[in-house]
Amino acid sequence: MSTATYPPPPPYYRLYKDYLQDPNSTPEPPPPIDGTYLLFGSNYTTDDVLPSLEDQGVRQLYPKGPNVDFKKELRALNRELQLHILELADVLVERPSQYARRVEEISLIFKNLHHLLNSLRPHQARATLIHILELQIQRRKQAIEDIKRRREEAQKLLKEALGTLEGQ
Amino acid sequence: MDIISQLQEQVNTIAALAFNTFGTLQRDAPPVRLSPNYPEPPPANPTEDAANVAEQPKQMSAAFVKAAKQFDALVAALPLSDGGEEAQLKRIAELQAENDAVGQELQKQLEAAEKELKQVQELFNQATDNCLNLKKPE
Repeated sequence: MSTATYPPPPPYYRLYKDYLQDPNSTPEPPPPIDGTYLLFGSNYTTDDVLPSLEDQGVRQLYPKGPNVDFKKELRALNRELQLHILELADVLVERPSQYARRVEEISLIFKNLHHLLNSLRPHQARATLIHILELQIQRRKQAIEDIKRRREEAQKLLKEALGTLEGQ
Repeated sequence: MDIISQLQEQVNTIAALAFNTFGTLQRDAPPVRLSPNYPEPPPANPTEDAANVAEQPKQMSAAFVKAAKQFDALVAALPLSDGGEEAQLKRIAELQAENDAVGQELQKQLEAAEKELKQVQELFNQATDNCLNLKKPE
């Protein structure tokens, strides 16, 4: 792969010379990429999943398992955080040179908090999808009712018109 | 803003309050005597009001505790009626099936209505032609 500060435009433009006359003579756009791809020198993956805390080298404070009770763990982490901040205040008063360990523990708690919140996002996405589907079903049922009603009205009008015409 | 973003904002607020508290207190604390060998620290300038120095920790810690309570309230407001991931996926599959069925019904009604519309239009054209006695131009 060659890199340049101001790269020229890609040379594919020559292939589209006759697009106005014959749109089918030009090549199709490339299919979407699968797997990993290289972008500006770094690798990206198309599999968008939240990396676990161990992958980032951060200790995980809340229990791992298939179903984490989010509310309980969030509240527990909040209490831990407040306790650690109190500890930091104490350390600063008594032994000011030992602040580093406490600050590290506080940042660990914050990282755990944010990771927990991020892992709630897929759940939120599925809940949003459920909500959208329910709304769509409701709208479609409403449309069906409307069409049925209009058809019945039209039938009634036609019968009345027929009656009026025959009466003449 | 949705509840998860609010929770994330609240976590960041708590962090900001914490380090602002410690930073301000450290910056504004009056000097303290380290050992009896060293002379007394020079008297503090009159810009540091004693009331100010005593009020700030109280106010800042009160703000911090309030933010932490707010976080707990937000956590309690999480609509986490958890049946787990499988329950959600099952519900999505059910809704999709129902959506397909309703969609087909809608399509059927729509086609029937369009057919009727065409019929009525056709008949109306014929009726008006008869009324006006239109002859095709030779």
